[in-house]
Amino acid sequence: MGKTLFEKLWASHIVVEKHEGPSLIYVDRHLVHEVTSPQAFEGLRINNRKVRRPDLTIATMDHNVPTNDRSLPILDQTSAIQIQTLEKNCKDFGIKLFDTNSPNQGIVHVIGPQLGITLPGSTIVCGDSHTSTHGAFGALAFGIGTSDVEHVLASQTLWLEKPKSFEIRVEGKRKNPHAVTAKDIVLSIIKNIGTGGGTGTVIEYCGEGITDLSMEQRMTICNMSIEAGARAGLVAPDEKTFDYLRDREYTPKNYESLVDFWRDELKTDSDAKFEKQFILHVDDIVPQVSWGTNPGMTCDVTDSIPSPDEFSKGDLNQKKSVQKALDYMDLKPGTPIVDIKIDRVFIGSCTNARLEDLIEASKVIKGQKVSSTVQAMVVPGSQMVKKQAEEMGLDKIFINANFDWRESGCSMCLGMNPDILSPGERCASTSNRNFEGRQGTGGRTHLVSPVMAAAAAIKGHFVDVRELDLN
Amino acid sequence: MKGAIIKYAQDNIDTDVIIPGQYLKVHDYAELATHAMEGLDPDFHSKVKEGDFILSGKNFGCGSSREHAPIALSHSGIKAVLALSFARIFYRNSVDGAFLLPIEIDEDAYNEISEGDEIDIDISTNEIKNITKNKTYKMKPFSEIIGKIISAGGIFKYNPDQN
Repeated sequence: MGKTLFEKLWASHIVVEKHEGPSLIYVDRHLVHEVTSPQAFEGLRINNRKVRRPDLTIATMDHNVPTNDRSLPILDQTSAIQIQTLEKNCKDFGIKLFDTNSPNQGIVHVIGPQLGITLPGSTIVCGDSHTSTHGAFGALAFGIGTSDVEHVLASQTLWLEKPKSFEIRVEGKRKNPHAVTAKDIVLSIIKNIGTGGGTGTVIEYCGEGITDLSMEQRMTICNMSIEAGARAGLVAPDEKTFDYLRDREYTPKNYESLVDFWRDELKTDSDAKFEKQFILHVDDIVPQVSWGTNPGMTCDVTDSIPSPDEFSKGDLNQKKSVQKALDYMDLKPGTPIVDIKIDRVFIGSCTNARLEDLIEASKVIKGQKVSSTVQAMVVPGSQMVKKQAEEMGLDKIFINANFDWRESGCSMCLGMNPDILSPGERCASTSNRNFEGRQGTGGRTHLVSPVMAAAAAIKGHFVDVRELDLN
Repeated sequence: MKGAIIKYAQDNIDTDVIIPGQYLKVHDYAELATHAMEGLDPDFHSKVKEGDFILSGKNFGCGSSREHAPIALSHSGIKAVLALSFARIFYRNSVDGAFLLPIEIDEDAYNEISEGDEIDIDISTNEIKNITKNKTYKMKPFSEIIGKIISAGGIFKYNPDQN
């Protein structure tokens, strides 16, 4: 019987295989950031260990860097210490670091692909759950915690149980691809399979609805695999993948011969069997808006807030969760999504802050102004995205519309730096998690696509972007 | 291993409520513990006792890979989390750092064990005894590697040739 792409990636990285049990898996690339690494480096020091492969380890600071003027000192002392600690650790252990002044600084999952560090067929880990993003290139990429970060630093390997393979087939063609985006596809998937629907699996996304997408859109899909509970998300590489990575700063010199190999090898065999399958038809999907406190609590922009009974379908735990979520979000069942007024807009994060995201959002706001009741910001995913956007004049479009135009970082996706919501504030956000308090204590998050966030900024409430001219 | 239950009868308790993002800069574990569960239950820190267990529903620990989540619970005194299911990164973080035991339970145990019940967990027999209600449940056994990492005392003490 044939093998799935995941099984091929797994088999090609086994260092030690035990009968029926776990395997020791080799790690090709280890991405490091300032928040989940300090204790790992400390552990190395205590045990007098070195970093096994500093040449395969790349670091940047993204989670708590300020997004305002980088020439100013960092006011938050604990953030400053964490950033200085990463600088010292990289220096002591000989690791390449893109620091806050580097033109290559950015969210770790944005810079990996942009620099050609992320490669098809490789294994990539990082102390961050959204490492699944890199799977868009046909890499097996997943998040780990700090103990495992230390284990990889010391050994370049990890003991892992083999996940199951899960095929998500996305069929059909979107009717309005500017209004119905990759974000809407992945939110639709999570809405259907649930936040635990992918637990213990590696998802391979396939079908016309996926191959139609650009690389940056595929990254949005793979990024949110973790929101369905999956260890990783994958897309088989194709010519779009190979073109995206060609001639990047760290693209390997023998790239074309690698491409020949990847083209032949990195795909699921036609007779391979997945352990689980889900099919989504995209012909009729519409823009999505999350209304609750996990990404599965999402509905169409044309819908109204569901009642706990309606949404939970007899599941008592679910019913309680919905009631609690509606209380937290201060929303009443029956309220149309388009009647929900917002206070803040955040266009950013490793999910949706790449160049294409900013281009699409800029089309919505060009020549218009942010509603007087809304405060809106754009935080590009990397300094390189920021520079490219500025070369296209996108910064002026956003600034003229009264958006804040910031330096790159994770920013308001997780509220570690000063970019946070105040209690009770409601935000249309292009990020990935709408958990309670995620964007600041008491803050209320609605997950949407960049075009939906931009349109909400202009109108002051959600709108169905299919009604706008986005060409 | 005996302890009392603190019950959160809900699914999808995420790592952002277990330890909110603003505390990921805190490196002192004792201080981190004072903020454990702050996003969900501001009284947690005052009520938790050394040796307590948390009981919860499906997909416990979903979200971020922050190991601060099991660390904050562990340094609050929590020795095990009993849940219908776990998010995988939280699960591995708990085991690899030897912070606490993630124990998968069935619907009966979840429904019948109440806040404050005294529980005895025996991972050698995979049994959970509710001492208060005099009832015994089966836990889902740990997989081979997880069992070995637990008995070794964490990923750095695990040696495949010896354990």
